[in-house]
Amino acid sequence: MVLDVTARNLKETDPEKQVMFSAQKNYFEIGRDLQGRMRYGAWQIKETVDLALQPMQKQKEQYLLNFDTDVEEVEIEAILSYYISGGKGDVVHTVKETLMFDID
Amino acid sequence: MHRCNRLILFVLSALLIFGPMSLQAMQKEADTIDELLTMFDETGCMECHDEIHNEWADSWHAKAVVSSLGSIHNFIEIGIKKEWETEVTKGQLLKCLDCHAPVVNFASEKLAVEIAEMIVTATKEKGKPAGDAATKELAKLKVGCLSCHNIKALRVAPGFNGSAEEGMIYGPHGEDAGDAHETLQAVDMTRSAFCMQCHGIYTAADGETIQCNTISGSYQNAYVAQGGSQTCQDCHMEKGHLFPGGRDLETVQKGLGFDVQINPYQHLPGKIEGVKDPAKWVPSAVVTIFIENKTGHRVPDG
Repeated sequence: MVLDVTARNLKETDPEKQVMFSAQKNYFEIGRDLQGRMRYGAWQIKETVDLALQPMQKQKEQYLLNFDTDVEEVEIEAILSYYISGGKGDVVHTVKETLMFDID
Repeated sequence: MHRCNRLILFVLSALLIFGPMSLQAMQKEADTIDELLTMFDETGCMECHDEIHNEWADSWHAKAVVSSLGSIHNFIEIGIKKEWETEVTKGQLLKCLDCHAPVVNFASEKLAVEIAEMIVTATKEKGKPAGDAATKELAKLKVGCLSCHNIKALRVAPGFNGSAEEGMIYGPHGEDAGDAHETLQAVDMTRSAFCMQCHGIYTAADGETIQCNTISGSYQNAYVAQGGSQTCQDCHMEKGHLFPGGRDLETVQKGLGFDVQINPYQHLPGKIEGVKDPAKWVPSAVVTIFIENKTGHRVPDG
């Protein structure tokens, strides 16, 4: 489970400069063997470190974003993706909002 | 009168001894996969339960072996052979297949080893004739009707329940199926503990723990312990015997709340380093995200 938060300057035409902020957080379990090494094999894993989302709990994530003084329009996007295996992720939820700033 | 009592006693004794036999007591061991499937013949189930059969046919239970070939192959080749330096036996293979194909409990030692070899071939020779043939044969093994409705039906509490009877169909209600088959109620099948036989840390007969997934531990310790009351079946049987879970996007979406609050403001001039004009207000925002796990277990899990 991966949360991605991105802020883009929509007035910026250079794609490399468009992203002003990005953050990612992973929610997962670390399986480890009895020597404390991270393992993937079901027979090797004897303990887990639980970094997943817990039932009946709300996980709160908060980000403070400061842009440059000439930024007028910002698109903020939050995407929650679920990776069932390896690199194949499905977007579970996405929220996108555009902010306008008075820069005078 | 005495003769009559003796006769009744004889009949009762015979019923006790030769009456409904448990699976363990009655079943012979199969030497081929086809023989195994004949012993646990499920071909007639769909004649009356076609809707349920169609749901199940699209489920991951229906491909519980072929969808996990890579993992089971790794267990055989890396776990059993390389790391444990031991022989591939039925007992070792059941550490996977007791759940992925419970009928293998009734395979002979020879057949179990052959199945293990097939799994290795199917993985190593994938896309080649030998691999495809092995996969086709292995596709016959799955979590089928009788896996739950007979073999595993009473295994949650074998001390209390005893063993499943050969040929008996166990269901949550024990409804009369007429001449089609005998039915007995197994309330266990309505409880989470029934699913937890496989959907949790698995303890093999020799004590080895296998952590394909740990979901039942989270269910018990972080959900029920916090007051949660839903069962596995409440959510994962909403689409009947399709049993949707993490591979079903709709189910995942339903299980996770996502509330994003974006709060714009202008930060005080001169307080943020690196901006073009330190004398100006700095466009800013606070993004607060609440992800609610509405399921009865940690997310994600195996």
